[in-house]
Amino acid sequence: MKYTLIIAGSGGQGVMSIGITFAQSAAEGGKHASFMPTYGPEQRGGSAKCTVIISDEEIISPLPKKSKVLIAMNEQSYKKFIPELEEGGLLIINSSRVTSQISRADIKLISIPADDIALDIGDARISNIILIGALLGFTDILQPDVFLSSIEKKFAKKSPEIIKINKAALDEGVKICNALK
Amino acid sequence: MAKQFMKGCEAVAEAAVLGGCRFFAGYPITPQNEIPEYMSSRLPEAGGIFIQGESEVASVNMVYGAASTGTRAMTSSSSPGISLKTEGISYLSGAKLPALIVNVSRGGPGLGSIQPAQSDYLQSTKALGHGGHRLLVFAPYTLQEAVDIAYDAFEYAERDRSPVMILMDGCLGSIMEMVDLPPMKELSNQNTQGWKVGYDGVKRGARMITSIYPEAGLESNNKNSAAMYKKWQEEDVKVEEFMLDDAEYVVVAYGIAARVAKQAIMQLRGQGCKIGLIRPITLYPFPKKSFEKLNYNNIKAFIDIEMTIPAQMYDDIDLLVRGRAPIFEYGRSGGILLDDDGVTDAIKKVTGGQA
Repeated sequence: MKYTLIIAGSGGQGVMSIGITFAQSAAEGGKHASFMPTYGPEQRGGSAKCTVIISDEEIISPLPKKSKVLIAMNEQSYKKFIPELEEGGLLIINSSRVTSQISRADIKLISIPADDIALDIGDARISNIILIGALLGFTDILQPDVFLSSIEKKFAKKSPEIIKINKAALDEGVKICNALK
Repeated sequence: MAKQFMKGCEAVAEAAVLGGCRFFAGYPITPQNEIPEYMSSRLPEAGGIFIQGESEVASVNMVYGAASTGTRAMTSSSSPGISLKTEGISYLSGAKLPALIVNVSRGGPGLGSIQPAQSDYLQSTKALGHGGHRLLVFAPYTLQEAVDIAYDAFEYAERDRSPVMILMDGCLGSIMEMVDLPPMKELSNQNTQGWKVGYDGVKRGARMITSIYPEAGLESNNKNSAAMYKKWQEEDVKVEEFMLDDAEYVVVAYGIAARVAKQAIMQLRGQGCKIGLIRPITLYPFPKKSFEKLNYNNIKAFIDIEMTIPAQMYDDIDLLVRGRAPIFEYGRSGGILLDDDGVTDAIKKVTGGQA
């Protein structure tokens, strides 16, 4: 098992933080994992991209040309990184912000209005968790429980409410994609 | 200690602290800012001192001062900042002071780009300042290797009374991987007892740390350094030789480029291509013996792969290959990173698609 995964969006959407948590979670769950950020010079509003690799075997190169999964959190990042999704790959879009017609026919598309769902749950900041939930629901990269325990660890010092809302977001993403399988 | 999922800059900083670093001075520059950021909280916790200097030049000279007292001292920067520090690095060498310098390199020349690049090979190996001095230059390719090297860097530096450099590009600085951190080293000032300045409870004659020799003494110092550099070549070369036994094509790459190249080599081997890798871990001393022992009757070509244009290691390879096989080069620069497909295709161009 080896997954290469691009997560991309704009600065402030939690691209890096979800990438780090996801890779760390996999690493702590016994997989080989690497996280590689690509920053623009901006702190907010610029493009943010990270590459996460999760593998049963040692990761030699952390710089794949193409990835098996692309999670695009906004229109700009979809347009910029869709050429980096390999043939037969999985595209997960935040359809609240990706408005383009998806033109590639050689890929599997999962379209989730993550921002709208996030607002329904009660916090605009959890779109990234919903999208990761979708990935975990659709693939066998990582057990959702393993990821959830990393989230609980990450927010251990914050209010229980934050953990609760993240769990709700994760569950929602997983549920949507379980239904698609 | 336990395994931890860490960012490259932080892992190398932590390893330096575990290896005895108790003084850090530096000045901000991307992509190495996580080193001083980490040190600013970690060093006080470990009983050390962190200073953000007013400039690179000030910072490296603060390291000079701290190292003079036998304190394990370190600075870090990224390419243009290292250029500024080279005056001080030359002074450290001239004054025979141990120190650790980390370069998390980015694109150049000039201010270049903030993205990762391997554009400082020539600077690191040939001229980290004026005066014809050399440093042991280590180029790790995984975070674990970076941790292991940083952990032992001060032992090398104190053994030789000479600064040590770790050259890691911005990719290794920002990537996160699992690392196994070693235990905190017991600090012993045994190695610095004979020369360090400052009162340490022992009555003794005055000492002076200096890099100026107005009268005699400089030449004998230089001769000692020359002998030391020769000894490094005999005893301190670190290199990985990968799948070279039957190799017809030999890739030469270090750091992040070696990771991408190794993946390509494994893929091409799977397709029947007889290809191997020489990966210098010490860039200086360069692994000459790895080239000397190759069977040149077998070898059709060398391919120098670096994340910079033009390739900078080329001349060192050329001196050893001496026309016995052609040397090709492939690189990317200007904020564009090497990638698996690009490197594989570049190698296939040389092997004639034989793969």
